[in-house]
Amino acid sequence: MPKLLIVDDELDVREFAANFFRKRKVEVTTASGGEEALDILEKLKPQLVLLDIKMQGINGIETLRRIRANDKDLKVIMVTGKKPDEDGSLNICQQLGVLDYIHKPLELAELERVVMGALK
Amino acid sequence: MKIFSFLQLFAATFYLFLGSLVLIKNKKLMINKVFFVLCLTTTIWHFGASMSYSATTNAMANFWGKFSYLGICFIAASGYHFIVTLLNINKGKIKKFVIFSYIFSLCFLILLFFSKYFVTDDVFHYPWGNYPKPGPLFSIFTLEFVFLWLMCPFRLFKAYRNTTSPFEKNRLKILLVGFVSVSPALMDFLPEYGINYPPIGFFFCSIWLFSMAYAVVKYRLMDIRVAVTRTGIFVVVYSLVLGLPFAVAFWLKGWLIETFRASWWVLPLGLMAALATVGPFIYIYLQRKAEDRLLADQRRYQDILKQASIGMTRIRDLQRLLDLIAHIVTKTVRISYAGIYLFDAESGEYVLQVSRDKGRLPVPKLASSNPLINWLTLKPQPLIYDEIKLKSQDSSDLVDKQLEENMRLLTAAVVIPSFLEDRLLGFIVLGEKISGQIYTQEDLNVFQVLASQAALAIENAQFYEEAKKMQEQIAQAEKMATIGTMADGLSHQINNRLYALSLIAGDTIDTIKLTDTSKCTPEVREMIGHINHALERIQANVMQGGEVVRGLLKYSREGETGLEALDLHTILNNTLEMVQYKVKLSEIDIVRDFSPNIPKIKGNLTQLEEAFFNFIDNAYDAIVERRNLLKEEAYRGRITVSALPKDNHLEIVVEDNGMGVKEGDIKKVFTPFFTTKTSSQKGTGLGLYVIKRIITETHKGQVSFESDYKVGTRFIIELPIAQ
Repeated sequence: MPKLLIVDDELDVREFAANFFRKRKVEVTTASGGEEALDILEKLKPQLVLLDIKMQGINGIETLRRIRANDKDLKVIMVTGKKPDEDGSLNICQQLGVLDYIHKPLELAELERVVMGALK
Repeated sequence: MKIFSFLQLFAATFYLFLGSLVLIKNKKLMINKVFFVLCLTTTIWHFGASMSYSATTNAMANFWGKFSYLGICFIAASGYHFIVTLLNINKGKIKKFVIFSYIFSLCFLILLFFSKYFVTDDVFHYPWGNYPKPGPLFSIFTLEFVFLWLMCPFRLFKAYRNTTSPFEKNRLKILLVGFVSVSPALMDFLPEYGINYPPIGFFFCSIWLFSMAYAVVKYRLMDIRVAVTRTGIFVVVYSLVLGLPFAVAFWLKGWLIETFRASWWVLPLGLMAALATVGPFIYIYLQRKAEDRLLADQRRYQDILKQASIGMTRIRDLQRLLDLIAHIVTKTVRISYAGIYLFDAESGEYVLQVSRDKGRLPVPKLASSNPLINWLTLKPQPLIYDEIKLKSQDSSDLVDKQLEENMRLLTAAVVIPSFLEDRLLGFIVLGEKISGQIYTQEDLNVFQVLASQAALAIENAQFYEEAKKMQEQIAQAEKMATIGTMADGLSHQINNRLYALSLIAGDTIDTIKLTDTSKCTPEVREMIGHINHALERIQANVMQGGEVVRGLLKYSREGETGLEALDLHTILNNTLEMVQYKVKLSEIDIVRDFSPNIPKIKGNLTQLEEAFFNFIDNAYDAIVERRNLLKEEAYRGRITVSALPKDNHLEIVVEDNGMGVKEGDIKKVFTPFFTTKTSSQKGTGLGLYVIKRIITETHKGQVSFESDYKVGTRFIIELPIAQ
């Protein structure tokens, strides 16, 4: 079963996104922040991380940077609630290497397409 | 030559000069002509008398004496004629009487040359000169003369009692004083009866004719008390200056010759020189003292007005200022009515702002094209109704008539314009003084000072109010800017909520889809169907909400400043996407009138989007305004964007068929914080200012503006084409 790590500080997002992908035969683990995500990553070794950018504590971009310090190949999809390419985060993410960069809100079908595509 | 010959000759010249002056002033007017005849008759009288006094033979003395009667015959008739013409009553019986008196005079003229019944060939010899001896009919002539003469002040007095106008009263008083002051001249008949009385009538005649000329020629007459006082002081001072040395020379001659011998004349001459030097100072001093006393009341309010003028500029509240001006003027000067009209830039009219009156309905406003306004603009002088009325009677000029009519409508005794540089800011309308006195030149001077100070104060207050309004607009603009920056953080929050909602709804829909409901009862299946539908609606609404936030973000985005090649279609599409949240695009037509492969512009997307946002937003507001104001049937708003390449730039025209801008506002359109939008949806007044900066500063392009009120507006924008 493919493993997916959802990192988001919103409980509703974690709960319903996880629920959705579990129904699609994905082993979903959730983390409520960057540090928790980094802890889990060590043991979990997921195929894909769905990473929110703006979070309490260390934010998505910092988390991505730390992930890249150990693992250059892990697939990461960034999720942002901000307007497109503001403060150059898109640019930084691209440099750090991300699979995709998606804007909130988006239709679930779209999220499914992106995530399931990455897990195949 | 006898001294009286000389004086009479001098007086004759003076009369002729006076008569000619009045005639030249206006040759067409009857009153001026009659006055000239009157002067001519007195001239002939004095000239003849002058020659007669000094004649060496009896025959010559008698000839010149008769010659003087050539004038004297007609003096009373022409004097009376003059008065009835002046009073405008020369018609009917009175006219017949005037003609009769001329015929009567003519009869005596015939008697004079063809008989000895009127004047004989004999001559009286007086120390001061010769006088012809009268015939038996002479007394009839004297009676006729005196009768006609007394009729003049009688007519004047009657007219004086009938008029209510202070101005007219003053004029009549001056004429009356003139006629009263000339009556001693009747004493010149005494020598005809053998009485040795020196003929000093010329002196009184001079005062009389001078006052008549003054009343005929000048419309603005001095206050009668002032006029009389000035003349009196003048006569007294100069009699002293000239008379004292003569008296010294006459009575002390013997003693002087004894003491000073041959150079006895040095003392009187020195005295004369000294008196002539101090004379003017004494005259001015006495005049000022006398007038201070006479015009104490006027001086008092003139001082108050001057003081008030100075203090006025400190008042910032326009309405209070205007109230104060009206109050000061009516209370201190004691005027029956005062009204202040100010120019209203929006309507282009002069609107009554303050009115102090007792039960009269003032004219609420005057159009800029009103003859009164035209006149004041051309001649920045106070207008006096009575003066204008007299002028309009005297001349056939249509302007005077219109002026008179408009002042009458305003019930204005005086209109004082208030100028700021050469701009007529407004005017003050004053009614009659309660005292019934006239407005003197000095009053008008003070009012003019007051009006020009008022102009400054009004400008000050208006500026202050505008500044206050502008501050409010700046605060509003700042609030908008704050909302713009807040939009950033807000949108993130909203997007997070929307994202959660879409996941909740989406996942639940998904769960429903994946769940086998075949074993459920139809009721439960129906309920699940409802829930599914509700969730789908939530999802659709979430996505719409996301679009709204995206639009908001685009608007508040602080764009980059770099320039790139841009397609006009893209700019317009993006703008329409943004603008749809503010403008109901379904209510108007947006026409794109340019080729799909139009050259690209070198520009900044964010800024051009903002500029076009403002163009379309403004056009839409103008369309809504026209729709609401003009309520035309079958009116539909239309915004046309057309573009054509010209040389190395693209000329884009954004045209709407909205309300348009009034001519007076066109110049101000690009000024920051200037807005014509109505209060219900007041603009910040920054839109076009921002446009101008974006187009001309960032893009080195040009933007101009054409507008016709109630037709529409065109913006012509030139932007460089990308190489």
